[in-house]
Amino acid sequence: MEVLLQWLVENARNKRMNRFASCVPFTLLALCLLIGGGMAWAHESVPAPLLGFIPPAPGTYELQTIMPTPAGEVLDTAGQARPLSDYTRGKITVLGLIYTRCSDAQGCPRAWAAFAELRRALRSNPRLARQTRLVNLSFDPAHDTPGVMMSIAEAAGGRDNSPEWDFLTTASIAKLAPIVDGFGQDLRVSSDLKASASEPLLSHTLKVFLIDREGHIREIYTTAFLIPQVIVNDIKTLLMEGHRG
Amino acid sequence: MRRKSSFLCLLILVAVSAAVSLAARADETCNSPYMGNLVKGQEDFLYVWTLGVEGLGDGQDKLVTLDVNPKSKNYGKVLNYASVGERGEAHHMGFSDDRRYLWAGGLDSNRIYVFDIAADPAKPKLIKTIADLGEKSGYLGPHTFYALPGRMLIGTLSNTKDKGGVTGLALYNNKGDFIAKYDLPTDHGGDGYGYDIAINPAKNALLTSSFAGWNNYMRDLGDLIKDGEAMKKFGNTMVLWDLKAMRPKQVFNVPGAPLEIRWSLNPGDNWAITATALTSKLWLIKQSKKGGKWEGREVATIGDPSQIPLPVDISIRRDSKGLWVNTFMDGKTRYFDLTDPEHPKQTYEKVTGKQVNMISQSWDGKRVYISSSLLAKWDKGGADNEQFVRGFTWNGKELVPAFEVDFTKEQLGRAHHMKFGSKALKSAFDEDGRSTLARR
Repeated sequence: MEVLLQWLVENARNKRMNRFASCVPFTLLALCLLIGGGMAWAHESVPAPLLGFIPPAPGTYELQTIMPTPAGEVLDTAGQARPLSDYTRGKITVLGLIYTRCSDAQGCPRAWAAFAELRRALRSNPRLARQTRLVNLSFDPAHDTPGVMMSIAEAAGGRDNSPEWDFLTTASIAKLAPIVDGFGQDLRVSSDLKASASEPLLSHTLKVFLIDREGHIREIYTTAFLIPQVIVNDIKTLLMEGHRG
Repeated sequence: MRRKSSFLCLLILVAVSAAVSLAARADETCNSPYMGNLVKGQEDFLYVWTLGVEGLGDGQDKLVTLDVNPKSKNYGKVLNYASVGERGEAHHMGFSDDRRYLWAGGLDSNRIYVFDIAADPAKPKLIKTIADLGEKSGYLGPHTFYALPGRMLIGTLSNTKDKGGVTGLALYNNKGDFIAKYDLPTDHGGDGYGYDIAINPAKNALLTSSFAGWNNYMRDLGDLIKDGEAMKKFGNTMVLWDLKAMRPKQVFNVPGAPLEIRWSLNPGDNWAITATALTSKLWLIKQSKKGGKWEGREVATIGDPSQIPLPVDISIRRDSKGLWVNTFMDGKTRYFDLTDPEHPKQTYEKVTGKQVNMISQSWDGKRVYISSSLLAKWDKGGADNEQFVRGFTWNGKELVPAFEVDFTKEQLGRAHHMKFGSKALKSAFDEDGRSTLARR
């Protein structure tokens, strides 16, 4: 990871990031076609973390209130500015900060796989699906425009939005910074907009946040515990709590 | 097609990464498995949590930074220290999950000091002091700092009510806000005592060990060992917890104050090891092969228990094939072959000081660091009260001295817990060292 990160940083500094961004996806697409790939293939090929235990049953344990979700302004896939709270309240929310150019094996690709499998699990339980929302928020606003996020949303399922799966970005790094900071998501974001607005330098630890209907973060999953079965149990546990007083 | 290719390619990236996705589950070599940014190459810095000594320098507890890169012109020298404004029995510390912050505890002050080590890894800066542990939890003596995602789980030694050994675990978020407390069990064979924390995520298993309360660890050791009643007030248990539920599942009877716990985090392994301070034994906690019941049993003897060598720290290799053991009283550093964890065999020993306490090894096991202080009132007196950090190289057969920093001569204090730092970690964070804690 470090070698790759350093390579990315150096390339960005040398203004060669655009070349990387344009050539690698095509290379991977070719690989995809060679293997006869597609979404189903990719999902089935992703190993979840080893589950060497039986997760406790929903409702038999308590999920602590870790911290409130931050306030902020995001853009939906239509480019409409909306408060982040529109996506962190009212339903149980599973939120991951990602960026589409990420290729860190322990980062966004792992999150993508978990989200896809989680959606599949939720779809098998319509009642659960109705009360749950998946959110991917980009921390690369310069590249991940509402249009890019729209394309990903369409590829992920288009209008077949069960459960709700939202793809968000922000208008600028200035809008993004307080959100990232509020989530406690480690991330290097250059504060020099003029110098790097089109090529932000990014580094992060994979974290996925489970948020209750009142907007409190109740669990944080990293690589070791990003297990769809555990997340589904946690969602059920929150729903069994009822509304917090 | 171009738009849809992005999502497909992301999925392909998932598949491409599968072969390495479960790597790096161990640590360097005894940190939380939830921690990122492990230092797998040459460490640049050694952070030493140091007890202040009245009349020595500023007399305060401090985080000392040593240069430990052999290629540096300052190799083996003190680069910096950050004092905390008081003397409160500095003891252990632990990194936050992203390694931006180093949390350090005072066993007497009951305070937690949070240092920013990302802005300038050579010069850690105290950015927050958490003083509400006693008020919020009733616990006293923050000992082990164990990173969880976005949180810090803290193992404590005592309680504010009677300052005895019944205690628990406190949970804070990374911003320094108290979240919850979990009492160590006093039923089903539990004695309620606490010390270390260690997690095996693949098993959803949290292990805790047990030591003694403030009344014992803040008492002069010579007086303490003459007090038969006080000597009964040491922990004799370990507890296996359901990590997800944070619920005790099983209590093990482990006589003689089991201290540091080290899991083998090799995929598929199902055991952890600890050393008992008063009885001088290695104990193995292991799950049956079919993934069922866990058992604890003595697997080796450390030195001559009748002489009370007092094993005080252990350090496991990243492949779990070997274990360093420091014994305070005889000043020895021992190496045990752990190829068969059911039958550890000592293969090496060396006197590394007149009193030795903590031991830390590099990711590759080629460098070993040893510190001198156990507790302010338990350290030896007179000429035996050496206070140092000594660096060694390990060639598989011999510990070869590499450098030494005399903490008394440098007017620093008593050298205790050690953690690694790296210049490379600076680049992973904001250029201005932007800190959530600092801005609160």
